Amino acid sequence: MATSVIATMSWEFALPGAFAGGAVDAAGERACESPMDDEAFAAFYSRSARPLWAYLARCSSDPALAEDLMQESYVRFLCAAGAPSLFAEGEAAARLYLFRIATNLLRDHWRRPRAASIEEIPEEFFAVQSRAEQTDSQILLGPALRRMKPRERQLLWLAHAEGYSHREIAQVTGLAAASIRLLLFRARHKIAALLRNQNPPDRREA
Amino acid sequence: MRLSCPRENEVRGLVELGQWPAAADPELSAHVSTCRACGDLVLVSQAFQKARTQTLAAAKLPPPGILFWRAQLRRRNAAVERLTRPLLGAEIFALVAALVAASGFTGFEARHGIAWLTWLDHLGQTGGLHWNALLSTVTPDQSWTWMILLPAFAGLALLGGLAVYLASERQ
Repeated sequence: MATSVIATMSWEFALPGAFAGGAVDAAGERACESPMDDEAFAAFYSRSARPLWAYLARCSSDPALAEDLMQESYVRFLCAAGAPSLFAEGEAAARLYLFRIATNLLRDHWRRPRAASIEEIPEEFFAVQSRAEQTDSQILLGPALRRMKPRERQLLWLAHAEGYSHREIAQVTGLAAASIRLLLFRARHKIAALLRNQNPPDRREA
Repeated sequence: MRLSCPRENEVRGLVELGQWPAAADPELSAHVSTCRACGDLVLVSQAFQKARTQTLAAAKLPPPGILFWRAQLRRRNAAVERLTRPLLGAEIFALVAALVAASGFTGFEARHGIAWLTWLDHLGQTGGLHWNALLSTVTPDQSWTWMILLPAFAGLALLGGLAVYLASERQ
């Protein structure tokens, strides 16, 4: 009995599906179990997708690329074995993990030789056709952001748009927590100078 | 220049809550107007928060069901790939075994005279494939050759069947 069981198991191992009645299908189904069910994912997605898209779009200056990377980030998040569980670690940890995936994808995109340099990409999407439609932030932040380095954009967006702490930014970007403070200070000082230069005092007061 | 100001957290809190400068006391407002670090913080934070609000509204998102389905498909493909990976070892083993068997058979035939060439000549003379023609090539003193040939043919047939199965399974 035991011998036959062992023999069957070894044949199943060697020839999956032939004797096991679809062992691969069953294993595939088991492997498809996500860290969250579709309803929990839909709720998490509705709360996190827009901030993630905004982060990617502003850092890449390319909304189409941002959409691609956002979708890939969610797929990788759902496939990752070590992704934080919504119930165990909480939504904040899950969101940080998601932003980290997106940051890595963005970095991989910039490292690809065929990709254009971030400095060469115009911020077309945020430059609205009619000047009358442009809001203050589009007029002011767009050109200033274009003059920042990709890493500075990421740090600034995470700190000042998402409100992440230095420790959380370190988790997302993979940089040392101790260096975030200095890098962020320099980036903030640089973009503040750019904003002041393109925003004369009389306009600021108005 | 100082990397940070002791009142930075106070200013940051008001800006993040959207209460700057309404909820700030005059003394803090006066400080911000003279402190470069706090001034930068207010300017940059307000610009980024406005930009965030406008960018969030501009997002066009695909339905979450598509992403969930794509993730399921990818996980399933990865699982199947993991399970079928050991079969590569079996394929390599089968190939090596077949090569060893074929080279052993060829070497044996080369050492003992290539008997099947005689059979081939005979086949050409008779003009057809007859089982007797095959048997006639095996002389009584060479009958033990079947002890090698039969397992070799059986092994090759088994390995061939396995190869065909694996090819069809992968497809």
